Amino acid sequence: MVKQHFSPQLTWEVRANCRPRYARGRRRSFLCFRWGRYAAIPAIASLRWYTNAIPLILVLTVRGLKDLATDLARRKSDSQINSRASDVLDSKSFCTVQWKDLCVGDVVRIHKDQPVPADLLLLCSSEEYSLCYVETADIDGETNLKYKQALSITHNELTSEPSEKSLADFDGVVWCERPNNRLYAFRGHLRWRGEDHVLNNDHVLLRGTVLRNTLVAYGLMIYAGADTKILRSCGKLRVKSTHVDRLLNKMVIGIFAFVLLTSLLMAVGHGAFEGQVSRFVPALSALTVNGDPVYSAFLTFWSYVIVLNPLIPMALYISFDVIHVLHSLFINWDVEMRWEKKDSPARARNTSLNEQLGQVGHLLSDKTGTLTQNHLLFRQCCIAGRVYGDASISVEETQQMDLSWNPFASGQLSMWAPELVQLLRARQCPIVSEFFTALALCHTVMPEQSKGALLYKASSPDEEALVGAARDLGWVFHSRRRDNLTVLELGVTREYQLLATLEFTSQRRRMSILVRDPEGGLKLYCKGADMVVLERLQAGCPCLESTERALESFAQTCLRTLCVAVRCVPEELWDCWSEVLTDAATMATGERDAVLEALYGAMESQLLLLGATAIEDRLQEGVPETIALLREAGLKIWVLTGDKTETAVNIGYFSKLLDPDTRLLGGQELREVLRSADPGYSASSSRQGDAWCVNMKTARAKTALVISGPELAEFVQEPGTGAKLIGLAAQCQSVLCCRVTPGQKADVVTLIRKHSRSITMAIGDGANDVNMIKTAHIGVGIAGVEGGQAVQNADFSLAQFRFLQRLLLVHGRWSYRRITFFVLFFIHKTCNFALVNIWFGFFNGFSAQSMYENWFIAMYTSLYTSIPIQLYAFFEQDVSAESSLRSPGLYRPGPLDRLFNPLTIAAMLAQTLFSSLVLFFIPYGVFQDSPLGYQTLAVTVSMADIFCVDAELLLLTRHWTAFNAVFLCIAFGFFFIVSRITQQPRLFQLAPADYFFVGVSENAFADPLVWLTALLAGVTAALPALFVFVFNVLLSGPDTHRVHSLAGPRPVELRSKVRRIDSGRRPSGVASRVSSSKGAAAPASGGPPHHPHPHPHHPHRLPLLEDKPTVDGAGVELSVPFIGRRLLPAIGK
Amino acid sequence: MSKEENTANRPDNTAFTQQRLPAWQPMLSAGIVIPGFVIIGVAFIGIGVALFVTSQNIQVLEIDYTGIETNSSCFKCKNTSVKNCNCTINFSRDKLFKGPVFVYYGLSNYFQNYRQYGASKDATQLTGDLSDLGDPSYCKEPCETCCPYRKDANDKPIVPCGSIANSMFNDTFKLFQIVNSSNVAVPLDGKGIAWWTDYNIKYRNPPTNPLKNAFNDTVKPIFWPRPAYELDPTNPANNGFINQDFLVWMRRSALPNFTKLYRRITEGEYAKGLPAGDYALVIGYNYPVVEFDGRKKVVFSNVSWMGGKNLFLGIVYLVIGSLCVVMSIVMLIVYAKFKFPDEE
Repeated sequence: MVKQHFSPQLTWEVRANCRPRYARGRRRSFLCFRWGRYAAIPAIASLRWYTNAIPLILVLTVRGLKDLATDLARRKSDSQINSRASDVLDSKSFCTVQWKDLCVGDVVRIHKDQPVPADLLLLCSSEEYSLCYVETADIDGETNLKYKQALSITHNELTSEPSEKSLADFDGVVWCERPNNRLYAFRGHLRWRGEDHVLNNDHVLLRGTVLRNTLVAYGLMIYAGADTKILRSCGKLRVKSTHVDRLLNKMVIGIFAFVLLTSLLMAVGHGAFEGQVSRFVPALSALTVNGDPVYSAFLTFWSYVIVLNPLIPMALYISFDVIHVLHSLFINWDVEMRWEKKDSPARARNTSLNEQLGQVGHLLSDKTGTLTQNHLLFRQCCIAGRVYGDASISVEETQQMDLSWNPFASGQLSMWAPELVQLLRARQCPIVSEFFTALALCHTVMPEQSKGALLYKASSPDEEALVGAARDLGWVFHSRRRDNLTVLELGVTREYQLLATLEFTSQRRRMSILVRDPEGGLKLYCKGADMVVLERLQAGCPCLESTERALESFAQTCLRTLCVAVRCVPEELWDCWSEVLTDAATMATGERDAVLEALYGAMESQLLLLGATAIEDRLQEGVPETIALLREAGLKIWVLTGDKTETAVNIGYFSKLLDPDTRLLGGQELREVLRSADPGYSASSSRQGDAWCVNMKTARAKTALVISGPELAEFVQEPGTGAKLIGLAAQCQSVLCCRVTPGQKADVVTLIRKHSRSITMAIGDGANDVNMIKTAHIGVGIAGVEGGQAVQNADFSLAQFRFLQRLLLVHGRWSYRRITFFVLFFIHKTCNFALVNIWFGFFNGFSAQSMYENWFIAMYTSLYTSIPIQLYAFFEQDVSAESSLRSPGLYRPGPLDRLFNPLTIAAMLAQTLFSSLVLFFIPYGVFQDSPLGYQTLAVTVSMADIFCVDAELLLLTRHWTAFNAVFLCIAFGFFFIVSRITQQPRLFQLAPADYFFVGVSENAFADPLVWLTALLAGVTAALPALFVFVFNVLLSGPDTHRVHSLAGPRPVELRSKVRRIDSGRRPSGVASRVSSSKGAAAPASGGPPHHPHPHPHHPHRLPLLEDKPTVDGAGVELSVPFIGRRLLPAIGK
Repeated sequence: MSKEENTANRPDNTAFTQQRLPAWQPMLSAGIVIPGFVIIGVAFIGIGVALFVTSQNIQVLEIDYTGIETNSSCFKCKNTSVKNCNCTINFSRDKLFKGPVFVYYGLSNYFQNYRQYGASKDATQLTGDLSDLGDPSYCKEPCETCCPYRKDANDKPIVPCGSIANSMFNDTFKLFQIVNSSNVAVPLDGKGIAWWTDYNIKYRNPPTNPLKNAFNDTVKPIFWPRPAYELDPTNPANNGFINQDFLVWMRRSALPNFTKLYRRITEGEYAKGLPAGDYALVIGYNYPVVEFDGRKKVVFSNVSWMGGKNLFLGIVYLVIGSLCVVMSIVMLIVYAKFKFPDEE
């Protein structure tokens, strides 16, 4: 039926979600590489085959099971979606089939509230003009309804007769673009009955949308399955891996190279030994394979590869996965990160990024819905210069007005203005009535009747708040039809004929609506940003000055303001205006936009100012505290918002992103600073010797950058500027980006990633944040009011912004510490165990004789040592959650990667070298000239290994849960028990070749010399760890423990409820200056808004000393000597 | 919304899920760690002293009989072409050598821990397992690992096969006390010098009687003067795979320089030790070591609870213990400076 001459055959395949599985291909192939059968060849079999196979099989089994579980889950959810039902036209009637059986060209029927199964061309619907409404929450996160309309030809032809018959006869051909990812564009045409009809986005129902308010719609499938626009636009998700992950992989590759190199050297040694020594010893020379030392050395190379195999920490990878999963579960389980109100817990959707949560250096946050609740409240208004309502009283304390006279009142109006109600009800003041008529008419809200209540579906929450406020005060917007609007004004129904809608765009920053009122008068109602509306007023508008004053005071209390104006339009103007408008509809796109712009401008002039509204977008609970805490933890916070600069700056002040005395740097000034050769120093000359330049460093710390979208685009484009911008931002307190598009948000992330080494975290709640969330190292979605897109694409989802502090400072910090120490320790213990073989090689003719019993090697990593260190990685808490939150400075080592960097790895390796030398050479000294044999030496060294590892574990673990203690004892005991078991006679009799250590431990464990040697070697090998441990305790002093034990009240400066007080004390100049400077936030002239004295709520802090890491072989311990002291004054209060 | 609905997603509020498991966080301070360190140091010094003193009290007599020096009586035997060479080394004790005295032989520069050497044996063959009785091939087809000491030139299996067995140490020692210029033999006891597990489990003779029959159609190891069933002509029970000297040899040494127990002096009047006087050690010099620069020695030693003389361990204990004590003093100084910087 449909022929698409561009596109190839489309196959039908529904994909459940578009997130590809996290591929870990390299690791697995890496394991495969290790799987060498050569280990079983006798000539080079330095170990029995199972010695290396047991850990390998374990790894592969666990990994396989995990992948199987994921695949099954995916398959299940895939088939769930595949088997959804849909009605398809089959010859003459509709029948129900599963989604997976739908094909391109099918005509499908969609009922109300059904999801659209594929990208459809809307043919007709049950509504007038074949309109149909869809909800696009899953695509763009907006919950309002959008309407789509069928072509008039299909509407006319297909609805005239019974639908089945006419639809079955429909034989149109659609020519359109190949499947693509452009969600908001569709080009094509329908050829039917010899005529071509142009198709555009309005005619297409996209997969992922849901049909609303429409009984039935019929559509023709154009793109199916993976070709649908939504799946196309999901794109390929980059596999995210963490710094630790990458460094670890490098390290493992390094170890692998080391193994090969060492084996080579040992093989050379073996060749030399064969040539120089063993050829004189008949007992040995006869054993030289083929009598050729070179060939023998070649075989020895492979033998050493096998013997040194345990160096490669294979089990680390499963442990790593298990730890990640558990840490993620801890996040999911945390009741303190669950939002009671919505019963919405935190979710770790990506289980491999946990430790990176402890390393975040840049936090990029959306504003609306992330910092704020995106729950807008109509708080104040100014009508005819008079202000109603008082926003300085918080919402909770605002008295409810008695609105019982209004059956439509929702009871949620948080404004106290009885005098306004009086005025309205008495209809004493026409300008007040006109104001609310404007609110009730000028919008694009869609009303919905459900269960008798009136619900408003709006594309922007602002509109919903305004229309809702008008409704509560008696101006009820009741219904919208194609060309008329019904308003119940204090119970009186009035119908307005809708003549034109002059839509809102971000350039115009206003919208207007042209209506004919029931009396026949033509009126234009306009609402928009204050700047735009105020410049379009008719001359001599009354109350202008008082309204401006009101606007300023609204802005200072952080309210979003809009101006409302009206114009009585003369009939003649409308006639000629509408004529031009009709003409414009047929023009080419570019030309038309310009004409429309002028046309709209002409209509929206000569306005009469009615007043201004003030809407409060309340900050989410705990946002200022969280931001203050995160800033103290050293995070650079960037707020990226589509909002206007003024609002963003105000929110910045209220959310503690900006301090009251923070200087804003933006616009031209910023540009100059960036253009100058070195932004760090030449800034002093760029401005006329500002005071802040005197002490650049401290001044910078008190500066925030304000960047607008267009400027940002400029900086990103310009080569070199990006790096400077990031450099400058690193010195500044915070950055605000206003008026940015979703694409720009991602650009900012890319910019930061490119020019700094720090980990970026993006947090947002809406579809416009998806790009940013996907681009950042870590994406966090706020499961909030807007649709699920952000959460779908995020690595972590939270219900509220404030949970971020727990996610980062507690879970992130713990994960980072646990995982880094775990990795370092794990590698340390496998290496110092395996390196002994090399030292032994020097005394056995480099013959690849293993130092250990086969069973010990097989058990060492899997049984004796892995569980305790794994438990460490599960449970370790160096400080409690409360202390972490109380001392955000403890977070700082993470972003600087203090615990896991080449230096700490080198220190660890040095310690490993030392302990492996000790582990070998102390027993060596004891066994010199002694009658104790090789097997006894093997048991002694094994025992020393166990002593050393367990001693180091004792030192490493600071948080002893019962599990830690019990499993350490079990693992320790296991060594002795398992040794006895594998070395007992019965097993030897079964397989002499596998259990040839029979009786060794029985004899060795009875020999005090073996115990004393193992004890000495073990303790001496652990001595560096012990030294570092003790020095840490000494240098950190008793203060560190204050962090553990403090249980007093939280420091006042973090928890104070300063919001309201702040608003009064904030230097009043800032906000107004910002809002009055056009487009840019920078003060137009004059000095910085310097605050003469420190804010009372921000007492001078003692400078936080750089956290000094001291090097420790088993890892690096952070000494935190001053944190406790710093806290003391605060606690003393 | 009812309350139940509102808690559907609530995670379990347990100590485990909330990471609030009861835990002990040791509160460490200088007052604990420095004394702790001192205690470790002192304990190590204590062990070190005990080991050192014990070691010092052990009497050891080492006699190198390789015969490198021309004035050595064994010099004549150095040349491998001399067969059945005997040499005598005289020594005298001016005080009692307290018993029980153990006699060891020692080799140096001898790589018994060489991997291919260690693998060169047939564990199954050496167990003489009863279940293998029906299948006589256990002796006839030695394991591949024994190569090249698996079969001789006539394709007859070597029993016991392999390089370890083949290279068995075969010097013999006899000790005489010279009393009034006549030699009084000091009885050397060769019983029980091998591990119980080796004697009873790891090595078993084939249960054929007489033992010789089990070795039909086999040849002795090339290096051996006598077949396995005639290793000890004096004691028929000490033959085959459970010959004590054979067992001791088969237990590979840890390092290239090693000693192995040869005999104990536990019988008769010498059980209390070797009295002061002159002794003659008669050595049956068979084992070649000179070609690879090796040394042979005989060691007489008495033992303590910690085995033979071992000064190394005691010294290292002393060193590490002292190091701990020194470090704890350094720590104390560092701590004092750090803690009270103003008083400096």
